[in-house]
Amino acid sequence: MIIELCDVWRRYSMGNEVINALAGVDLKVGYGEFLAILGPSGSGKTTMLNIIGGLDTASSGRVAVDGHDLSRAGDRILAAYRNKMVGFVFQNFNLQPSCSALENVALPLMFAGVSAGRRSRMAREGLQTVGMSQRARHLPNQLSSGERQRVAIARALVNEPRILLADEPTGNLDTRTSELVMELLISLVRERNITLLMVTHNPYMAEFAGRSIHMRDGQISRELTCASLI
Amino acid sequence: MRFVDLIRTACRNLARRRLRSFLTISGVVIAACLVTLLVSMGIGMRHFMSAQVEALMPSDVVLVVSSQGALQLGLAGLAFGENPQQVAEGTGSRYALNPIKSSHIEEIAALEFVDRVDPYIMFTTWSASRLDGPAVKAMARALPDYQVRARVLSAGSYISEDASGVCIIAGQLVESLGFASPQDALGEEIIIRVRQAVGMLGLPSNTEGVRFQITGVAEPNVQATEILIPQSDAALMARFWAGSDDMYTERMPPSILQVRVGDVAYMDQVTAQVKNMGLGAMGSNEVMGFVGTIFNVIEGLLGAFGLIALGVATLGIINTLVMSIHERTREIGVMKATGACRGTIRKLFTLEGALIGLTGGVFGVGIAYILGAGINELARLTFLSSFVGTQVSYMPWWLLVGVVITCTVVALVASLYPSLRAARMDPIEALRFE
Repeated sequence: MIIELCDVWRRYSMGNEVINALAGVDLKVGYGEFLAILGPSGSGKTTMLNIIGGLDTASSGRVAVDGHDLSRAGDRILAAYRNKMVGFVFQNFNLQPSCSALENVALPLMFAGVSAGRRSRMAREGLQTVGMSQRARHLPNQLSSGERQRVAIARALVNEPRILLADEPTGNLDTRTSELVMELLISLVRERNITLLMVTHNPYMAEFAGRSIHMRDGQISRELTCASLI
Repeated sequence: MRFVDLIRTACRNLARRRLRSFLTISGVVIAACLVTLLVSMGIGMRHFMSAQVEALMPSDVVLVVSSQGALQLGLAGLAFGENPQQVAEGTGSRYALNPIKSSHIEEIAALEFVDRVDPYIMFTTWSASRLDGPAVKAMARALPDYQVRARVLSAGSYISEDASGVCIIAGQLVESLGFASPQDALGEEIIIRVRQAVGMLGLPSNTEGVRFQITGVAEPNVQATEILIPQSDAALMARFWAGSDDMYTERMPPSILQVRVGDVAYMDQVTAQVKNMGLGAMGSNEVMGFVGTIFNVIEGLLGAFGLIALGVATLGIINTLVMSIHERTREIGVMKATGACRGTIRKLFTLEGALIGLTGGVFGVGIAYILGAGINELARLTFLSSFVGTQVSYMPWWLLVGVVITCTVVALVASLYPSLRAARMDPIEALRFE
């Protein structure tokens, strides 16, 4: 298993009230698996994704990725983990507005200490993979939503991560673009045997996944395997 | 993240918000310029005063007078604030310059480490002129041989102590006396006039002119009107000036002595020994120390004004970075999500602050350098035209480098708080920021 969550809790304090964003989650995800995470707002989907991505830490429980316990990792280790092991795709793309598409894709490589020349070459290859090489010099505000998400996918994959975490990647896209982005995403993760965890509200998008889990009140309420598409 | 990428990113971030960066850097430029210019003026004044003191009193000389009070008068110029006191019949003020006894002079000359003892011949020169030329302001002085030889000559030769009727004139006097060049002045005769001291009080007095042949011309220096004459001639002129034929004879020995100490390390020892004889004494090191203390205070005060400006600029830097961090919250979140650790974020913002300081410091120092040169040129053409080589603003390399380093370090320290805030930002909150 590449991801193992064992009785994971995430508690937030709001004044005197304690809110359990995650309440004892147990989850195992295999290598190259595509897992869709569904559930209403506030059910803990994004919190779980953030904990797996090393952006947040669990209040209790064990979070292991590729056998390494994330709960005990310090800032530097978590930063290196986010840089090399995982890639993020966000609903609102989160591209740096002042950087070109090429520079956005090269960003994780810069934090990895890759030289400027090699960085540029790798980022170009990344853009080519998502069919955006002709838009390399464009700023995010000069790109359409679909194009922006493609750039974000290229950025997430440029460091060849083992896990891709997508938080509603088609949430800001129209139906046709959503399908194209999903097809691109799935073909890339398949090709590279990357584990994909995707949070979505859209049951149709979840059908692309091999397995889907439903969350409610910080817990996994239901689990489905949809072998038809994967 | 590589250091070169950190610098590139920091420069780029500053360039992105050009107007804000320009205004913040301008604050540092003004502060750096002020600090440099004000401190350089303090140093310029110190150099000017030190050169004046050194010209009057070489570094290996102890001045000796009849009493410590007389020395205080000489230093302070005034002796107000004394309490009423009884004075014994026949004695004057304890501030008066009384002749030093011959026995004391012999005793001083016999002290260990004392090379030689010379009288300081005191009189006021009225004017100097060529035989048929206009009179100009001049200051004739009789110095011991070793002090004469400390002057650098541009033409001619030094005068010997036992000579008579010869002189060395200051470089600046060549033109004012009407000579075409220092070479042109050599061998020519000038008249040095002395008016009796009582004339200074507006009382009837006589003026006497003494002829001297120019044998040397000194390189222009801070002593712009100096004419060096032999001691024997000076003694005669001083007697006329004071109205007493006994001056500088056995009957009335000199009231000021110049004691040369062979090894400057023993200046304090010789000074103390002379004071023990009941005489007043002050070494050139003591005078320079006194001058140094005054100028330390002046430079400190001038620098403090500049530092206030730097303090204000520091607040500007903090404000700029805090604003910048606020605006770039989401970017910081993305940086963290893509692999930047706290240290990288901290370094990036600290570097931005340091770059503001460095750029401001370099430009500020550059502008101060140009302004300083302008002020010096203006001074040279106007009020300092007589003092060749004197600079109102003197900028040693350590001041320029020091100000740039100070600005950079201050800006770096100022950016610590904003950069720490950025580094501690929760990536999830940052990514949610609208």
